[in-house]
Amino acid sequence: MMDALVSGFGAALTLYNIAFIAFGVAIGYLVGALPGLGKGTATAVAIPVTFYLSPLAAIAFLVGISKGSTAGSAVSAILMNTPGEPSSTPTALAGYPLARAGKAQKALKMGLFASVIGDFVSTCALILMAQTLAEYALAIGPIELVTILAFSLTFIAALSGKSLVKGLIAGLFGILCSTVGLEIETSTERLIFGNFELYDGLPLIPVAIGMLALSEMMVQIGNRRSLEEQADLLRGSGKPADARVTLEDWKKSARAIIRGTGIGIFIGILPGLGASTGSFLSYGMARRAANDPDSFERDGAIEGVAAAESADNAVVPASFVPLFALGIPGSVIAAILIGAFIIHGVTPGPLMFLEQAELIQGIYASMLVASLILLVIGYFGQNMFARIIKLSPSLVLPTVVFLCCLGAYMQGGGMFGLYIMAIFAVIGFFARKFDFSFVTFLIGFVVGDGFELALRQSIGLLQGSPESIVEHPVAIVFGVLTILGVAAVLRRKSVSTKPADKAAE
Amino acid sequence: MPKADLIAGVSLTAIGLALLFWIIPLQTEQNTGAAVPPDLLPNICAIGIAVLAAILTVRAARNTAPAGEVPAGTEWAAMVAIVIVVIVGAVLFEYVHPAAAGFFVCLAPMLYMGERRWYLLLALPGTLVLAVYLLFYEVLGTAIQ
Repeated sequence: MMDALVSGFGAALTLYNIAFIAFGVAIGYLVGALPGLGKGTATAVAIPVTFYLSPLAAIAFLVGISKGSTAGSAVSAILMNTPGEPSSTPTALAGYPLARAGKAQKALKMGLFASVIGDFVSTCALILMAQTLAEYALAIGPIELVTILAFSLTFIAALSGKSLVKGLIAGLFGILCSTVGLEIETSTERLIFGNFELYDGLPLIPVAIGMLALSEMMVQIGNRRSLEEQADLLRGSGKPADARVTLEDWKKSARAIIRGTGIGIFIGILPGLGASTGSFLSYGMARRAANDPDSFERDGAIEGVAAAESADNAVVPASFVPLFALGIPGSVIAAILIGAFIIHGVTPGPLMFLEQAELIQGIYASMLVASLILLVIGYFGQNMFARIIKLSPSLVLPTVVFLCCLGAYMQGGGMFGLYIMAIFAVIGFFARKFDFSFVTFLIGFVVGDGFELALRQSIGLLQGSPESIVEHPVAIVFGVLTILGVAAVLRRKSVSTKPADKAAE
Repeated sequence: MPKADLIAGVSLTAIGLALLFWIIPLQTEQNTGAAVPPDLLPNICAIGIAVLAAILTVRAARNTAPAGEVPAGTEWAAMVAIVIVVIVGAVLFEYVHPAAAGFFVCLAPMLYMGERRWYLLLALPGTLVLAVYLLFYEVLGTAIQ
């Protein structure tokens, strides 16, 4: 494995690749720092720029954006008490009081160091685990794949929103949208409404940009007054110790960073849990371990910032484990990256390790390089990014709308892409407001084709003898897990909505 | 009663039933001779959506579902405004010039958000259009058309 990784470094460490990784990290860090513009928005909007790049540079650029934006979201959380993404909310809880006490630089630096450590260690975990898991995945047949995908979607639906029912509706709607176009077996037209541009199905990138980015812009522009009121200037205390991370701070934070990284890796591997779960869990455990937990929100706590940021950033590389090993996207970023992989002729999944071994090692090496570039750009650019995030939303949001239109036009076959983006932006707008998980929708949409193919093959294999399912124990295990999972969630929901609980609320 | 969930539940039940009995049969060729009919998966999805949406409706009526949020007036207005911006941008692209469309899709949201500084209204859309022109036409050597 080391030899392969070394050759991957050979491919990744060209000036061309490093420039795009650095460019991606810088853009991601900036976008992440801007409140409301998450890594999903940044990555989806950036995909068109990658059309003309080599596959390795393209993926490295997008990975750089996702890593940069995850770390950058701590800047606005600490300086403005406005998390760039929901997963940075715990960072705001512990970091903003520090900034108010004149320790903004210290909190920003510790947030950055914890982010880089979490991200780097999680990337190493990805390198060690993905190929091993992929070797097992090669033994998976269509019957097993159907049950694994059903389990994953149910799991994601249950965990990515407040309601399993809404999550499942979103996932089914995503699969339904993936059936638009020519049917895979007989090339029969389905749901194309006489529009020949739909023969190839709905284009992924305009759908993703509409659901993720443009619908978010609709909500943000609709709430522009509150956005404008969030600007808040903070000054340092003037003491040198308050502007740097001291040995004492490291002693306080080391355990929180180690624990947070472990939590982030674990949460990232499980599809659908997301970075917010990781950062809140890690923050909660750091808080519980403190002598005076209430001081975290009252006075701020450097170990709280470290705990939240290490977990938040460890989730992203770990969420690529199911993507690389099984071809199942476990997060929005992974779903968008599938689009980028396909554009560049690569199909994520276990066969990727056999057919595209050099590319995989190059991606690994690029991810490790991106972690180090993140440290450099974050450390030296923090003050500049802190100034940029105070730009008026009336300049930032129209720029994003412009980039959304550009991306949808280029990847969606011209005007057709624009209209698809607009339609899915409206659907995404309602999904956000009515709390339907657009993450589950998008993942259902991405895995829909594979799910249908596996379902058809399974029906063919089991034709006339459904009892032969007993020859597929993995399928039985995942089928039972899906049923038990749904039952457990429904039971939990019914218990939590008993009158006594309502009264307690 | 969680009004948003009730609206969503009733609407999605109607959409699920419309898909199942009207849209999918109308838009999918039947009797293709394939071992697995082409409308199998769409129908499974439509049935699932209709059944789950009905459950959501019942839960909302009984007040046992986690409530969503009815969009505020300003959010409705922003949604309509952005859709109009995209449509007008597409028309400008088709009938006037790509640069005019690019300028408009940035300028219109700025004006909508209350930006009135004339130099910014000119500079930001102009810079973005110029940057895209330089990147795609000059650096990458391709065209947006």
